[in-house]
Amino acid sequence: MTTTTENQKAKEAYFTASQGQLIWARFKKQRAAMIAAMVLAMLILSGIFAPILSPYDPTIAGRDADYLNGAPQIPSFCDTNGCSIRPFLHTVTRERSLATNFRWVETINEDERRYMEFFVSGDEYKLFGLIPMDTHLFGMSEGYVHLFGTDSSGKDIFSRTLHAIWTSLQVGTMGVVISFVLALIIGGVSGYYGGWLDSFIQMVTDAIRTVPAIPLFMAIAAFIPPEWTAETRFLFISMILGLIGWPTLARRVRTHLLTERNQEYVLAAQLCGASGGHIIRRHLLPSFTSYIIVDLVISFPYMVLSETALSFIGLGLKDPVNSLGVMLQNVTSADVLLNYQWYFIPVIFFVALVMAFVFVGDGLRDAADPYSEANK
Amino acid sequence: MLQFGRFAATRAVMALITLVIVSFVVFSLMELVPGDCAERYLAYKTTQGQAITLADIDAERVRLGLDRPYMIRWATWLTGAFQGEFGDSCILRVNIAQLLGSKFWISLSICLGSLLLAYAIAIPVGIISAASRNAAMNNTLRIVSYLGLAMPNFLLALMIMLFSTLYFGETLTGLFSAEYKDAPWSWAKFVDLLKHAWLPIFILGWSATAFALQTVRALMSDEIGKLYVTAASARGLYGGRLLWRYPARHALGPIVNSLGFDLNRIFNELPIVALILTLTEAGSLLLEALARSNDQQLAGAIIFLLTASIVTLNFFTDILLAVLDPRVRKSILR
Repeated sequence: MTTTTENQKAKEAYFTASQGQLIWARFKKQRAAMIAAMVLAMLILSGIFAPILSPYDPTIAGRDADYLNGAPQIPSFCDTNGCSIRPFLHTVTRERSLATNFRWVETINEDERRYMEFFVSGDEYKLFGLIPMDTHLFGMSEGYVHLFGTDSSGKDIFSRTLHAIWTSLQVGTMGVVISFVLALIIGGVSGYYGGWLDSFIQMVTDAIRTVPAIPLFMAIAAFIPPEWTAETRFLFISMILGLIGWPTLARRVRTHLLTERNQEYVLAAQLCGASGGHIIRRHLLPSFTSYIIVDLVISFPYMVLSETALSFIGLGLKDPVNSLGVMLQNVTSADVLLNYQWYFIPVIFFVALVMAFVFVGDGLRDAADPYSEANK
Repeated sequence: MLQFGRFAATRAVMALITLVIVSFVVFSLMELVPGDCAERYLAYKTTQGQAITLADIDAERVRLGLDRPYMIRWATWLTGAFQGEFGDSCILRVNIAQLLGSKFWISLSICLGSLLLAYAIAIPVGIISAASRNAAMNNTLRIVSYLGLAMPNFLLALMIMLFSTLYFGETLTGLFSAEYKDAPWSWAKFVDLLKHAWLPIFILGWSATAFALQTVRALMSDEIGKLYVTAASARGLYGGRLLWRYPARHALGPIVNSLGFDLNRIFNELPIVALILTLTEAGSLLLEALARSNDQQLAGAIIFLLTASIVTLNFFTDILLAVLDPRVRKSILR
């Protein structure tokens, strides 16, 4: 008896569930998408709290002048002299002279320990760009710790990676928002009004879609005057990404609108005297909000990748703004490839970030499609 | 036949219209670059120790035809572009058609080669994986395709560079060996090109393969569940014969249709992969034109040529689709 009432309750919950609850229920069933969602959440959080999590300032202000092109340092708990509860590093002296054939040679002093400390105060920063703080999650009692090593000017690669994740998220969000607004306006007008206006807009959209995007990015990014500051460049690059990314999305919006606008509820609204804009906003857009969200999540990684590519060739962001592309700018030199492979550590994070977005996007798409269950 | 000709003609006209729109966009972008060719050229002359006045710049503008109205200059550029004539490069002062010459064709062949490679791998593997119920294989393929999406080609190129220098001690860069670099075309040079070109072809084909694999697999698994396949197997067809004769032919249409977009995707990666592998073809010329010297004439010409090859490919796939697919053919010939 109790099982049937429970069944009833479950059924009732199913039939009265809102769209969002249904999508969430279907999304939870997909293991890969759930894992990806967790990875994504972790990456986003570490991006947002990058200033706290990273021990040093990612710009030249936080450089370690005595440890240029330094290898990653992994704190350990034990050494030949015994163990300690606190992780520590040994003191390292580096020498580069005629005697060492002008290469960095490190001598580790096993007897001197430098202990790791938590919640230390260090370089000042502004959390969320507002709250001035100087607490960092971890630091050293003396000297520096570089989990991922340092680059040619002594900047901590771990700190830079965390800040780069934040930069990528910002660029991606801005690009997606701009292209989304454009796509809504252009696709909305095209799909709602139809006729010759639709044909014309579609012709232009298709023409723009055939132009390879990255060469076009490069052409536009080359206009940036060299005297612009890094922040202005950042804004401009995100704008370009948005301005070029809209056609695919606009096409999807238009297709949805074309099928929806002949439905009875639109006719009913028209008979009530609603204006075109009102019908698009209040009746048509809500009918496929879930599809739009999915599209946004899916197009996000492409924005991030485009930015990376652009910065990598030197046309995108520049120092002191950190992004993966900026960090990879000089890695093709033989020197880096042969001697300083830790420059490539950030790549792992970015492959993880993009993969997480792709998996979550795919999972959302399956979850948002009410017919996907019928097939299984 | 006449109707088919009319269909081809409409498609050709549409392709031309697309090109005209694209040329307008590209030309406007070129014009938006601060400073024009006359200023560039004379700025170069001042570095050579000649005094330049405003009158000189105006005279140079008249000589280059830059004083004419915008639309007329666009029309001139467009008619030139359709004849393969793009004028002189602003910075290098060389005819662009000469400068690009064989470089553009090499780039295009490399890209088409990677497109071919992508589908040569994707079609058989996609069909087999859609037909088989082997979970391990399907999951591996899924991860490979996701990696193809997440790992952009230029990162792959970087990783390959990293490993080749670490383990083989040599960098696999360039397109020609030193002795063939400036030699005229010959069989030996062609063989040398092939020896070097496999790596860029593989790298450029990498994410296209991943995309194609997903498309083929999805299309095939949709088709395999349909009743006509069951009917065919009830008549005693099985294995490869069944797959190739029935569902594969249905899945072919959308694949042919997507070729143009795949080429677009490959072109996107071209300049960056070219930079990493230090290739000396159109991709790196574009990079050079944009990143180093702001050479708008050259950049515009390359973007136009890339787009033109995509539009051409789209035109041919449309025609091919009409030839291959009886449903499309009937809808035209009606």
